[in-house]
Amino acid sequence: MQIKTYLVVFLTAVISLASFAQEQKMSVSEINSFKQSVAVVSKKIKTLSTDFVQYKHMDFLSKDIETSGKMIFKEPSLLLWQYKRPYSYSVIFKSGKILINDEGKKKSVDIGNSKMFGKINKLIVGSVSGDMFDDKEFTISYFKTKGNNITRFIPKDAKLKKYIRQIELTFDKEEATVEQVKLIESSEDYTRIVLKNKTINAKIDDSVFTN
Amino acid sequence: MRKSTIPFLLINFFLVVVLSSCASNVVKGYTKVPLEKKIVAVPYFSNSDTDYVYKANISVYGNELTGIFIAKKINEATHRVVFTTEFGNKLLDFEISENDFKVNSIAEELDRKILINTLKNDFRLLLRKQYLIEEQFENTTDEVYQSREGNMYNFLFVSKTNEKQYKIVHSSRTKEKISISFDSENNIFAERVVIQHKNIKLKIELNYLQSKSN
Repeated sequence: MQIKTYLVVFLTAVISLASFAQEQKMSVSEINSFKQSVAVVSKKIKTLSTDFVQYKHMDFLSKDIETSGKMIFKEPSLLLWQYKRPYSYSVIFKSGKILINDEGKKKSVDIGNSKMFGKINKLIVGSVSGDMFDDKEFTISYFKTKGNNITRFIPKDAKLKKYIRQIELTFDKEEATVEQVKLIESSEDYTRIVLKNKTINAKIDDSVFTN
Repeated sequence: MRKSTIPFLLINFFLVVVLSSCASNVVKGYTKVPLEKKIVAVPYFSNSDTDYVYKANISVYGNELTGIFIAKKINEATHRVVFTTEFGNKLLDFEISENDFKVNSIAEELDRKILINTLKNDFRLLLRKQYLIEEQFENTTDEVYQSREGNMYNFLFVSKTNEKQYKIVHSSRTKEKISISFDSENNIFAERVVIQHKNIKLKIELNYLQSKSN
């Protein structure tokens, strides 16, 4: 029994070491071609809808807090972020307003030209479409594994940095689309969002973005 | 000198009599009964294996704030309490015990002393695992245990029919300040908790998110 336990621990350690070893820095030419392929894909995106599962990890909890739902984006800047489980809560970003629906309780917040919310909106859309290679806003580093490309963004804006220390996007190598978003708050805490069932450029009516 | 002392003493005496007779405003209509136990435990946040995760709705002076409330007992005396938005970003992170209090982090917008103190008191009341009892009351439906905390009182209401602890009232001699009510299926885990302030317009509603076995 004990040997078995040791074996499991050993194997886990080896596997995690191996996966660390697998992650390599991209070369300059790899970065350029990767950025280009993401740009090509995200340029094509007029609408995007995807299911997501969100895992909130906090070191002191025994289990991640799991929530899930749907996200829909339509050019140029309509965005719906909707939690369905275990509660129903949605946020719509729409022409200078945030519309919130909390289990049927509706609220509208005027954000006007708030720079911070502009940045957050851009960040969410950028995270999902992958198009956020803005050197002015972030210090960016690029890595690759066997099946994925990984980019890490460290905000330059001091205010944004207070909330998010680092954003990590994991791309599918073939499709050049985002599979996972990881928002890292501190060494112990992060939010990991896994995107599934992505549909690009399906017809989406504006009425989807009403509260 | 003497003339002024006597009325002063009288007033004092009068005040003491009036105030002590008002001590049980919360248990008005209840009958005092002999004390059955000296300690009453509150189970709802006491298991260190449980992640207590709730959807929170806070209404404060007409404003609504929602998010996720998380509490976890991290050692014998201390709970970690975190409040995040639905998106997962942390708004506040406290470590709280009966005698200690530490702010690990707090969002700039919430970093107000009065707010932090209010939440500290609320959470302390919510998370306390037991109360020392000095008086006991009852009526046909409830047992009520009175505990003293300096010049304040806590009243624990237990239903006679199902033996569930369903309410804690934090009160001064005369006035109810905070009431916390619990809805619990099994008397161990509370599916719903409501913290209602009586002197300020603040109400915190917690509805559980994850299965208690987590």
